Amino acid sequence: MTGEAQLSERNTVVTERMSLRIVSLLLLVAVFSVFVLWSVNPVGSGSESTIALFLAVDLIAVAMISYIDRAVSREGRISRAALIAGCFFIGLLVVGALYLVG
Amino acid sequence: MADTTEVPPREEKIGLMARALGWFDSRLGLSYQLLRPAPQYSINPFYWLGALATVAFVIQAVTGGIMMLYYVPDPTQAYATTQYIFRSVSYGTFLETIHLYTAYAMIMLAFMHLMRGYFVSVHKKPRELMWVTGMVMGFVTLGFGFTGYLLPWTIVSKSATDVGIGMMGALPQPLASFITFLVVGSGSDAGELLRFYDLHVFVLPAVLLVLLVVKMYMLEAHGVSEPSSGLGSLSQKKRKLIPIFPDVSFYLVELAALFGSAVILVSVIFPLSLPPEYSAAIAGQYVSQPDWYFLWIYQILKVSAFEQAGLPVALTAVTLIFAALVVLPFIDRGKVRNIRERMVYITLGAIFVAEVAVLAVWGYLTPGEAIPDETAALVLGGTALLVTLCSLVAYKLVFGGLRRLARGKSPNDGLASKPPMGATPASPRAAGAWIAGMFVGLLVAGAFFTGNSIADVVALGLGASTALPSLAISLTGLALVVVGTMFLIYRLDLATGSIRRRVRVFELGWKG
Repeated sequence: MTGEAQLSERNTVVTERMSLRIVSLLLLVAVFSVFVLWSVNPVGSGSESTIALFLAVDLIAVAMISYIDRAVSREGRISRAALIAGCFFIGLLVVGALYLVG
Repeated sequence: MADTTEVPPREEKIGLMARALGWFDSRLGLSYQLLRPAPQYSINPFYWLGALATVAFVIQAVTGGIMMLYYVPDPTQAYATTQYIFRSVSYGTFLETIHLYTAYAMIMLAFMHLMRGYFVSVHKKPRELMWVTGMVMGFVTLGFGFTGYLLPWTIVSKSATDVGIGMMGALPQPLASFITFLVVGSGSDAGELLRFYDLHVFVLPAVLLVLLVVKMYMLEAHGVSEPSSGLGSLSQKKRKLIPIFPDVSFYLVELAALFGSAVILVSVIFPLSLPPEYSAAIAGQYVSQPDWYFLWIYQILKVSAFEQAGLPVALTAVTLIFAALVVLPFIDRGKVRNIRERMVYITLGAIFVAEVAVLAVWGYLTPGEAIPDETAALVLGGTALLVTLCSLVAYKLVFGGLRRLARGKSPNDGLASKPPMGATPASPRAAGAWIAGMFVGLLVAGAFFTGNSIADVVALGLGASTALPSLAISLTGLALVVVGTMFLIYRLDLATGSIRRRVRVFELGWKG
């Protein structure tokens, strides 16, 4: 195996490991949001906004998981900008939702 | 003796996700390709605007289905049950808001899908019937908006719907009689609401689903349309076919999830509130105004010339616009699809989009106000003029002489590239940047003078004769902008040697 091929394989392995960790974190966020979803009062504009924000978080997490799988399996690399943007929005929405809970 | 020892296959490490997908695949047969693979270049949101509109439709079906459990389509209970959904049903406000905003998104996506299709010529052979089907689906989508608007029975929705119904009577016959019978029936409030409800929750969804199946069938038959510039402009990688599952499906899941989260976010930031209930006694206190997607038509009908006796003329004109869009594949039958070679159609499309946007915003800003004919002519004419100038400039800059100038090539006689003003020699790139800057400056000035002209005409119409000198200055400025643009384009053509007809006055100072 040439050095270039070895490097490529190593990169793919690193990408896969990284993606597995990110996906695990995204699933954790999703589970957390479902827990919050069941623990707030379903009637009332404030709590409805909290639920809506967590639902948006879940949807972004789903989109990211799907993107990671597609990118790793087809292209062998993930766009760092897309990951950062996704995580940023998730963070923003979680903070917004927790602010509303508070 | 030959070595018969077989090398055991290398065990590949299979990830959790792949194993999970494999499990489903072996049970559901997802990887057996029923659907035609899509090209890699279709992994682009603009290719899936129709799919996103379908996602919006599904969200509406789910949220609408839940609301149907509580809503009663009777004038005496419609508002109360809508209010009950808002106040007492779990996630009720969220449901109502999401239902409304996905409806808005569906209409917007359908419009974007239509215009994108128009600009990249997807209506050409062999997709003519796909286009016609898509147009009918667009009308059904507008029908959803029209019928759904009445259901909460608020003062705003009932008044606007009554205006809409009144206008239908002025449509060309027999269309007017048919639509009026379809939506109004006996003429009583109860009959009207029930018909709107039936159309909204049964008839229109059924029609849309049938049309969706027909369109999907045709999509399967013809595949994703090629880019307007042709397959030759794409790399081998972009042309590669990829399976619908998992590649395209996962991509659509991503788009749908992001679309859903965007709609949710908007609904959180701008939650819906219910206007007061309709009653004939207070109806006169409110200005009847349709929802935003009908505002552009409503604004046309507010022009003085189209009031009263002129109404049928205006409605016939609007009907003709829609009819022209439906039969577009049979009008625009040329084989040319490339945007670069379709300046007339692209400009017409851009004018249509700009006029619709201007009319809608204008209608929103001037509720209930009649529009004087002169103002309408100036605003609509000014918009068309500006868009035409922009289009002309864009074609010259992007596809025309400037590109050749930047390459240092001439189409006709091999003239060396030079700055279009014929002055200081500069690099082609610098000349390009300079001329682009000039064009932008002219456009800004054009927009400024057009705006001023409109304001002055409005002021004159209101009796302020002092606006006359200002109007003269604005019109002079506008004329100078037009002449300046023509001059710049001429010098650009002169620099690249693509002049067809000489205009000596524009060649003053030219050192050819």
